[in-house]
Amino acid sequence: MRRPRTGRFALGAVIVAVPLVLALLGPVFAGDPGPRATSFTAGGALGLGTDFVGRDVWGQVLHGGRPVVLTALAATALAYLVALPVGLFGALTRRRLLEELLMRPLDVLLAIPSLLLILLAATVFSPGAVGLALLVALANVPDAARLVRAAAAEAAARPAVEALRMQGETWWRTAVGHVGRSMLRTLAADAGTRLTGVLYLVATAAFLGVGVAPDAADWAVMVDRNRTGLFVQPWAVVVPAVLIVALTTGTNLLFDAALDTGGRRGADRREKEARP
Amino acid sequence: MSGLRSFVVRRLLLGALQTVAVVLLVFALTEALPGDAAVALAGDQPDPARVAAIREAMRLDRPAWERLADWAAGLLHGDLGTSLVSGRPVSQYLADGFGPTLLLATLTVALLVPAGFGLGVLAARYAGRAADRLISSVTLAVYAVPEFALGVLLVTVFALRLGWLPPTAVGYGTDLLAHPAALVLPVLVLLSRPVCSLVRLVRAGMIDALASPHVAQARRYGVSGARLRYTHALPGALAPAAQQLARTVDWLLCGVVVVEALFVIPGLGTVLLGAVAERDVPVVQGLAVVFGVLTVVLNLGADLVAHRLAPRAGVAA
Repeated sequence: MRRPRTGRFALGAVIVAVPLVLALLGPVFAGDPGPRATSFTAGGALGLGTDFVGRDVWGQVLHGGRPVVLTALAATALAYLVALPVGLFGALTRRRLLEELLMRPLDVLLAIPSLLLILLAATVFSPGAVGLALLVALANVPDAARLVRAAAAEAAARPAVEALRMQGETWWRTAVGHVGRSMLRTLAADAGTRLTGVLYLVATAAFLGVGVAPDAADWAVMVDRNRTGLFVQPWAVVVPAVLIVALTTGTNLLFDAALDTGGRRGADRREKEARP
Repeated sequence: MSGLRSFVVRRLLLGALQTVAVVLLVFALTEALPGDAAVALAGDQPDPARVAAIREAMRLDRPAWERLADWAAGLLHGDLGTSLVSGRPVSQYLADGFGPTLLLATLTVALLVPAGFGLGVLAARYAGRAADRLISSVTLAVYAVPEFALGVLLVTVFALRLGWLPPTAVGYGTDLLAHPAALVLPVLVLLSRPVCSLVRLVRAGMIDALASPHVAQARRYGVSGARLRYTHALPGALAPAAQQLARTVDWLLCGVVVVEALFVIPGLGTVLLGAVAERDVPVVQGLAVVFGVLTVVLNLGADLVAHRLAPRAGVAA
């Protein structure tokens, strides 16, 4: 199994490298936006033409990756920031009632489809990039906290933790030092799938116009706004769409290959571990 | 038997709680506005007449719990309220968008099950060989792709370059069945993510099941290939797959909203997006409750089926 794995790892890395480099370094190289030209004309920088308001498509592409990537990373980090303490506490507390009080509401929240949550919030206020990151994080907290609790409960049931407890070690050393460390692998695997899911959600929300300005330089917004000119000037839609596909696919392939131990993986692994 | 019954009771209780939570959360998210809710909702067109109309329609002069009680009581009687924008009952919006969405969802699920199980069993049968590697890589790659990006690329290739299929459903109205060509791309895009996840799950379950002692025993008795796979191994792989089928409801909902926007199909997703854009709170609330309760019920059903198929698995409840 050694060879195909490194192969897939390299493939994932190559696929994700292009959009990632464009997203992170693009704005540095973009320079000043030139004067606006006519909408949906061909030509321009790299032959990519102009977009729906006559801006240079290549310039928009250079600027448009950063919001997608940064919002997704921030949302993933925020979700764990809440889920880790909640899940750890839920698994390690000796009071059953407290655990139930902490975890049961999350079970109930799991029932709400994530995009619905985001659209509901978007009805009553216009979230910016920060608001979108918060909403996406919120949609991910219940599932992440459940996973953390399940992984931590498994680790906490080991004799080593009992020994630490009897030795009178502090809660912090037991929870973070031992239990936290022993579930790193599970967490890394979950972080991969979660980041992929978050990227999906962030891009889809932006496509539907949530959390972004109507003329924002954002790959997902570009796909949406330039659709009207698809038959005249397809590049303004195809280039950002291909970059989003590469970003999500590459991330998924990369994490899957990096965490593959030759045994179970992907959806199967999550199914197994998500269950207490 | 008592174990099964107590599981069913607990799961039903959780379902009921989830339904209540959906109603509460929908209300809290859409009505817990800071400041003057009517002004916030009037948003882009804050003319006094509209603000007054919203205040009147939503009865904002009364305390929140009273409004919640009224709204919830209305829901119990099937009264979903009236639109702030048009004054039409929300149930009429639902009735208008129901047909196309139901058609899309039915077609997708009808194709999802055979495609998912077929490809999953195929991959498991040739585990580690070329067919499996191809199926596994493609499903892994497509699994993560947002529907709108995939859809727009498919439109570019099949509608723009090749001219085989119409790019959108514009002009066909709600009678989509009469124009099957317009349905090909939407259903294909809607299928992409759920199929991938189902294939991977069935494949993993089948590989486990094919290696299990009872299948080995059946093989020793001389049970032949296809029968071995479908009557002895597949049932073991069904429980996790049944659950995943329900989880895809969440995805189907996201997918339907995106696909309807992308292909301009006048279904519930389009109604929802329109209401969100117009800040038509009662319509959004009504649709959200319907979608949310649907998700709860389908998840409940799947958990019960999965529990019936594999009582030992300890389905999360």
